[in-house]
Amino acid sequence: MTRTPTEPAAGRAELWKLLSESLRSSPEHPLPRRVVDAALAWSGAREAVLYLRERDAWLPAIATAESAGLVLPEPPPQRPLPSGTALWIPLEAEGEVHGHLGLDGVGSEEQEELASVMATILGSLLGAHRLSRLVKEAEFEVKTRLLELESLYDLGLSLGGQLDIAALGDEVLFRSISLTDAGKGTLVLFDEGGKILFERSLGGELLAADRVASWSLPEGESVINNAAAAVPTAGMRLSACQKCLAVAISVGGRRLGALAVADKESRDGGVLDFTAADARLLSLFANQAAAAIETARLHRAAIEKERIERELELAAAIQREILPRALPEVTGVELAAGNLPTRQVGGDYYDLFPLSRGRLGFLVADVSGKGVPAALLVSTVHAAVHLQIDEARTVVELVARIDRHLRRYAATRKFLTLFFGLLEPETGTLRYVSAGHNPALLLRASGRLERLDSTGVPVGILPNPTWREEIRTMEPGDLLAVYTDGLTEAVDESDREFGLGRLERAVEERRNLPAARLCDEVLGQVADFARGMPQYDDQTLLLVRRT
Amino acid sequence: VSEACKITVERRDDIAILFTDGYINNQGGEEIARQAYTQLDAGARALILDLEKTRIVNSIGISILIEVLERVMDRKGVLAFCRLTPTIDKTFRIMGLAQYAAIYPSLDEALKAVAAAPRGEAARNP
Repeated sequence: MTRTPTEPAAGRAELWKLLSESLRSSPEHPLPRRVVDAALAWSGAREAVLYLRERDAWLPAIATAESAGLVLPEPPPQRPLPSGTALWIPLEAEGEVHGHLGLDGVGSEEQEELASVMATILGSLLGAHRLSRLVKEAEFEVKTRLLELESLYDLGLSLGGQLDIAALGDEVLFRSISLTDAGKGTLVLFDEGGKILFERSLGGELLAADRVASWSLPEGESVINNAAAAVPTAGMRLSACQKCLAVAISVGGRRLGALAVADKESRDGGVLDFTAADARLLSLFANQAAAAIETARLHRAAIEKERIERELELAAAIQREILPRALPEVTGVELAAGNLPTRQVGGDYYDLFPLSRGRLGFLVADVSGKGVPAALLVSTVHAAVHLQIDEARTVVELVARIDRHLRRYAATRKFLTLFFGLLEPETGTLRYVSAGHNPALLLRASGRLERLDSTGVPVGILPNPTWREEIRTMEPGDLLAVYTDGLTEAVDESDREFGLGRLERAVEERRNLPAARLCDEVLGQVADFARGMPQYDDQTLLLVRRT
Repeated sequence: VSEACKITVERRDDIAILFTDGYINNQGGEEIARQAYTQLDAGARALILDLEKTRIVNSIGISILIEVLERVMDRKGVLAFCRLTPTIDKTFRIMGLAQYAAIYPSLDEALKAVAAAPRGEAARNP
């Protein structure tokens, strides 16, 4: 602004208007310089100097080119004003001093009076300017708080549906850094087993991820360390920051990670202390993160559960396809069979084979393991038996062939117990091999009960197995019950097993019933015993009665 | 996200496009302001800030952007933003930046709107 001739006649209102326009805020022309220019222009002084107070601190003096003599080592309130040719006027409004203006070369009374009027107006304008700045700052502060609230709300919404840990982690870390005005930050998240799920830093690594799990940070509380360099916080990288704020991320006492931010920025490039409000905000972010991680974990668990259920359905379907849909009609023999698969799908398998010369082959097998692997092994056994039954000359040879087939083709290293019987209904000759299977029960028509114990090791368990063939003669009315351990090991609510003794009595008591009904009732008795308790193994019962 | 914000500038006639890459904090904001003022002094009528590679802005960065906006308006120029993340978009709207500077989803849209905006008028917020 060029100096214009003073016009003492100018009224106060006009001077106010002109000065107001001169002081209109512009980022390109800072206010102190404008005040000096305006004072010089309107007072008629030769030189001017201005001391302004901003936020309780004095700004460096702003002076016109030749006013070096007016610049004081300290602002006016700190030392007595110099006397001499300079005129020193406080710039104040409503009792508050906003600055001091020094004018040199103001000689006449008229000029002094004008300068005084001008100073009054400048004081008011500075007061108004300060007020306007305070309002702007307050508005900015309110908007910042609103932004914090909106961020928490948005984060809650996005994290609720966020199952990608990396995206979730970024969201939490970035918002934490930006809303605390931090210069750097680190977020470490791990699962319940301690495996690191997410580790990311911005501006520098603050946390030693491998130490976070054992970090002695109070749960649910944040730690403010505004003297980080002097007093390192446990778990933080040394010399990584000047001031830091950290919080543990936990759910129900389980540590799931930690969040740390550091070096809160100020507009002048300095580092500010973190406040209790910052700590509160970071704790809220940590809580959101914890909730989201828990959601993601539960989701993963639900997916796993769904996968298992699909697998079980598949296994059950395989098993359903393999078990005979109907029992064969064989002269001289009455047959019945029942199979109750458990929810977890075990590996029970039974089958019957009408053979040449009226003979009947029958098999009950129990494969180790559960689910799809067990179902696939049952499928392999089923294929092996159907392929080999016409080739084998003896029951031992048949079992040996099944064993070889399994070793060659089974995808998994599993084993099975089985009972294979070959009955000639005409003579009643029963040849059998029990490969590690539960004792079959031969209930004589006379009422005597025989246990047909194992005659060799389970199939697929030893490299060079041998089995022994046993022979019995079934008289008319004799009943053979072959079953799997799902029956004898069925448990009640006290975890007591049904047991072999109960099974024997159950069969004996009903030995005169038709086989189908006998089978249903025995299975029913086992179910009554279990009283709805979940069972862990399939239950299979095959009854063969010579008529 | 790199720790220090890098700014690259592209000039198209009287429109200067500032591409930011990194955290718009005190340092990033100052760098944007420096480049923006250089462009204004070199005759740029409009500034477009393309924030495609920025994922974080803090309150100090925002206050510097407000200062840049004030200076642009003081010079009767135009300021626009484009390619903001949803989080930054919302931040600018809450903090009042979107009141005087339009926000566009793409650089092309920003260029078209800014080229059509008369001097001294903020490009219309889409």
